[in-house]
Amino acid sequence: MNWATIFLKDMLLFQRRLLRLGYVLSTLFAPLLYLVAFGLGLGKSVAIPGGLSYLDFLLPGLVAMSSMTNSYTWVANSLNMGRLYFRTFQIYLQTPVSPWEIVVGQTLAGIVRGLFASSVILGLGLILGSQLHFTAVFVLGMVFNGLVFAAFGVVVGLKTKSHEDSATFTNFFILPMAFFCGTFFPVDTLPGWAQHLIYILPLTHTNRLLRAPAWCLDSLVSLLLLAAAAGLCLALSILFIRRYSE
Amino acid sequence: MIAITNLSKYYGTIPALDNLTLEIGAGEVFGLLGPNGAGKTTTIKILTTLTFTTRGAARIAGCDVVRDRPRLKPLIAVCPQEINLDRELTAFENLWFYGRLFQVPDISRRIMELLEWAQLESRAHDRVKGFSGGLQRRLLIARALMSRPRVLFLDEPTVGLDPQIRRQLWDMIRQLKADGITILLTTHYIEEAESLCGRVGVLNKGRLIALDSPQNLTARVGGYVVESVDGARRSYTLVKDREAACARAQEETDGVLIRQANLEDVFIQLTGERLSQ
Repeated sequence: MNWATIFLKDMLLFQRRLLRLGYVLSTLFAPLLYLVAFGLGLGKSVAIPGGLSYLDFLLPGLVAMSSMTNSYTWVANSLNMGRLYFRTFQIYLQTPVSPWEIVVGQTLAGIVRGLFASSVILGLGLILGSQLHFTAVFVLGMVFNGLVFAAFGVVVGLKTKSHEDSATFTNFFILPMAFFCGTFFPVDTLPGWAQHLIYILPLTHTNRLLRAPAWCLDSLVSLLLLAAAAGLCLALSILFIRRYSE
Repeated sequence: MIAITNLSKYYGTIPALDNLTLEIGAGEVFGLLGPNGAGKTTTIKILTTLTFTTRGAARIAGCDVVRDRPRLKPLIAVCPQEINLDRELTAFENLWFYGRLFQVPDISRRIMELLEWAQLESRAHDRVKGFSGGLQRRLLIARALMSRPRVLFLDEPTVGLDPQIRRQLWDMIRQLKADGITILLTTHYIEEAESLCGRVGVLNKGRLIALDSPQNLTARVGGYVVESVDGARRSYTLVKDREAACARAQEETDGVLIRQANLEDVFIQLTGERLSQ
């Protein structure tokens, strides 16, 4: 049950940080800005196929984006800083903790963090008048999205050699996904070659799940692809910890 | 308790540790002495499973440090050179989470025992970020003892602390020695090694260049030192006994200091360099 200890410790640290107003605001500032500026401002002049209001189109995308950035950033930064600066990660390596327990504890903490951030965005969107319908697919999509990006955060947190490296991963992997995977506009408005490229990125499938009206074959395919991406990241994380050597 | 055989660690082509062979008995306090970059921390990192070896082997209580890690880890504990406490957590919480990783029974009682031992019971529920360096070091040692380890690794345990706090920590280490815990400590403080360690291994540039008790090592280079000052230049002469030192001093025309030899003199004699370099 060492994964639970690692998870509990991260939750306690998260709770302490939540009590700092500046920390919460800075974490949620970007998606809130997008929600207000695009959802309420620009959105009035944008037409979405199917007659959906732009706010109703945008909200699931922002929920997915917040879940992605928060799950990923929490885990990648906490591992990176814990490994290179505070040296708290080394505690796990020098105590009777298995690599999989470290990965599970860290990933669960990332998922919770992502769910918290996306729930705040979701609540605000509903207050602003979104008519979003919740389905089981929506909830599963949020959880799997957190899982994929928290697990990716573990991989990045273990492999980066400095804090700047972490920013590089964010700029090359996370930021493009936020803009091109269907957060702000439908993916099918892009050229065919770009759609093929975007199809392999996990956030595309989260957006498909969060916007699916009900279970269908496409949802199942998206869920399986997210599970495969998460499985790959988790397996890599365990391998990297097994081979960890300073 | 600890058996190290031909242990080497290379970073690229640079040897951090070169062919170290060493045995440390149960209940012994053994010191690894050497300047920065000598290989002390690398040795501890290998023995505490943080770094793989390039060549050679090491066993602790019969467990290979690479192949038997799950069996080894419950037996050892480490106080690293960098204070790696969670600064946002309280002293109690730091020990609680650490103890949970070892499944320490009756954990709250054990924490209070150790906080009392480290004279930190009044700070139990204060966050560590408000602690001084000395308090954090004491808490770090208390944390390492949570699991009742058979072997304790102390990597530069008093580095950066003022002399009074350093002596408090030495008293704590002496108590651990009395409890029969095997201790491997690294230091570049001469007085620390002489005061605490039954035997000392002197490392320089990754190689073990001397191994014996502090008394035998100093006796080997000569029991006394005659330091003479000639302008800005200071020279050292190692001599066998007090009479020889007095005779040597009478030959000097400038200021002369006669003192007993210490491990620093051993290091200078062996390498031509000072430990503090």
